[in-house]
Amino acid sequence: MKIRYLPHTADIRMKIEGSSLEDLFTAGILGMGNILKDGFCDKNGPFILKLKIELTAHDETCLLIDFLSEVLSSSYAEKAIFCEVKIFELTTRKIRAEIHGRQLAHGFDEEIKAVTYHEADVHKNNNRDWETLIIFDI
Amino acid sequence: MKINKTDIHKIEDFLWEIPKAFRPNMRVPARVLASEALLDAIMEDRSLVQLVNVASLPGIKGASLVMPDVHEGYGFPIGGVAATLHPDGAISPGGIGYDINCGVRLLTSDQKIADIKDKLEMLSKELYAQVPSGMGKGGQIKLSTQEMDEVLLKGAEWAIEKGYGEKRDLAFIESNGRLENADPSLVSDMAKKRGTDQLGTIGSGNHFVEVDYVAEIYEETIAEAYGLSKGQVVILIHTGSRGLGHQVATDYIRQIISAMPNYGIVVPDRELACVPFNSKEGQNYFKAMCAAANYAWCNREVISWEVRNAWRNIFGPTIEPLKLMYDVAHNIAKVETHLVEGKQAEVIVHRKGATRAFGPGFEELPESYKSVGQPVIIPGSMGTCSYVLAGTTRSKELTFGSCCHGAGRRLSRTAAKKQVNAPVLKEYLKEKGIFVEAGSFKGIAEEAPIAYKDVNMVVETVSNSGIARKVAKLRPVVVVKG
Repeated sequence: MKIRYLPHTADIRMKIEGSSLEDLFTAGILGMGNILKDGFCDKNGPFILKLKIELTAHDETCLLIDFLSEVLSSSYAEKAIFCEVKIFELTTRKIRAEIHGRQLAHGFDEEIKAVTYHEADVHKNNNRDWETLIIFDI
Repeated sequence: MKINKTDIHKIEDFLWEIPKAFRPNMRVPARVLASEALLDAIMEDRSLVQLVNVASLPGIKGASLVMPDVHEGYGFPIGGVAATLHPDGAISPGGIGYDINCGVRLLTSDQKIADIKDKLEMLSKELYAQVPSGMGKGGQIKLSTQEMDEVLLKGAEWAIEKGYGEKRDLAFIESNGRLENADPSLVSDMAKKRGTDQLGTIGSGNHFVEVDYVAEIYEETIAEAYGLSKGQVVILIHTGSRGLGHQVATDYIRQIISAMPNYGIVVPDRELACVPFNSKEGQNYFKAMCAAANYAWCNREVISWEVRNAWRNIFGPTIEPLKLMYDVAHNIAKVETHLVEGKQAEVIVHRKGATRAFGPGFEELPESYKSVGQPVIIPGSMGTCSYVLAGTTRSKELTFGSCCHGAGRRLSRTAAKKQVNAPVLKEYLKEKGIFVEAGSFKGIAEEAPIAYKDVNMVVETVSNSGIARKVAKLRPVVVVKG
């Protein structure tokens, strides 16, 4: 799993890679959690707050963006950051999972307004790994 | 797709065009309002590729347009205008953006800067204390389910009914602070939940409350009509619909992506997802967007109440109250009448990082502004300057009655953080007489003046092109940020 943050004029551009779709979704939630609060997911476990998410979409790109949007909304609703995902079922059009996180004592570092579809394209790269870019509206 | 300077034709001074023939799916030409120097700067990111994509929207009329403060966005460029034919042209949530009705308002005082200089530092701390800012900080108001629906229906009026605003303010807000088409039942429970405790909060990012003084007057008559005079202290507020608006946009972009194939619509970027305005999905989004816009106007009215409290706390209860000069949206869609192919027609004007700039005679304006045109408020970056402009009839001819909305970002947040030492910048600004109160040094670095284009150049361009007239220049003395 790889997570990299790339330049963008006004927003945040993140590139994630994973050896499987599961791995890519895991990279997505972790990468977003660490934007909301720098390094939060690297050191604040165990993540005891658990929420179920079930979603369908018409392809794997929309599924990942919709999943992260749902995680983001839950973060704001619960005032928490979610860092891990336990996947029960994942196809290119459906996810059934449980996200794990922790409530914040002192607020977020960054306000992500939205996870956008712009430039998102979940595909297999030359190394046979899954990858995509994601632009967060800040 | 790469756009070269040779693909761009000069139509007249400050107006450039990428012709319709540039790419087969363009339905109209793409136009850039800019000086040549700004055009060269604009070509450094992907703004123009995004502008060309917008020219492919179903039902788009005239041209897809960008203002001189444009920068790369996601889907639509930030600083863009697109008008589609009413009622069956496209409505695209991405053409409004996630921060629905992000906008600015200016409050005026009867104080001169020379008389209150020694109280500015205190004022900055009091504003920071009164106006909740930053992430995760709720406001003083917790809305019940019923109150939320009333806010979404009534906008700024709700704040006034509840004692958080001044009745006079309504006439000085775009659309009088309320869009009639709002339908709270089309706003999701999650959106409402996120908005429950955010009225009266500015959030983070580039949002702020700023105390300025009028440094220069360019048009005496217009300035007088707006109640502006040299040396006068004024307060600028920049924020939008907060988490509620972000959630409305997220919900509907998702729905519209799914619905698009039913209308045979294909777009070059999912963030341009759109449906016919008069389709069920189009109407649902429009009515939810109007509700979120109303929340934003209510938010700016409540923030004004907090600012007015801070003002009284510093200057005493007998001080002349702050007056609202004007409040304008810069992320919104409106049904307006414009000249299309030689005839007056109703169009759906999407403004994403663009301000309405209607000229003299516009009937919605308060009496005192009717003969001079609508105020246009252009915030600059922290530590530089801001402007008050007046809309003109020329804007109707060139830009569907629109103007720029700010300086426009130049550097990424990461680049700004690398280049700026925030504690040093804060001290430097203090030495220049600008007191900055912010939740974090990170916020100061990301919003440093170096991260933005030169607002003076942007304003010169819109003024020289004739779409707005320069009325006054404002210089900051206090900046409160998230």
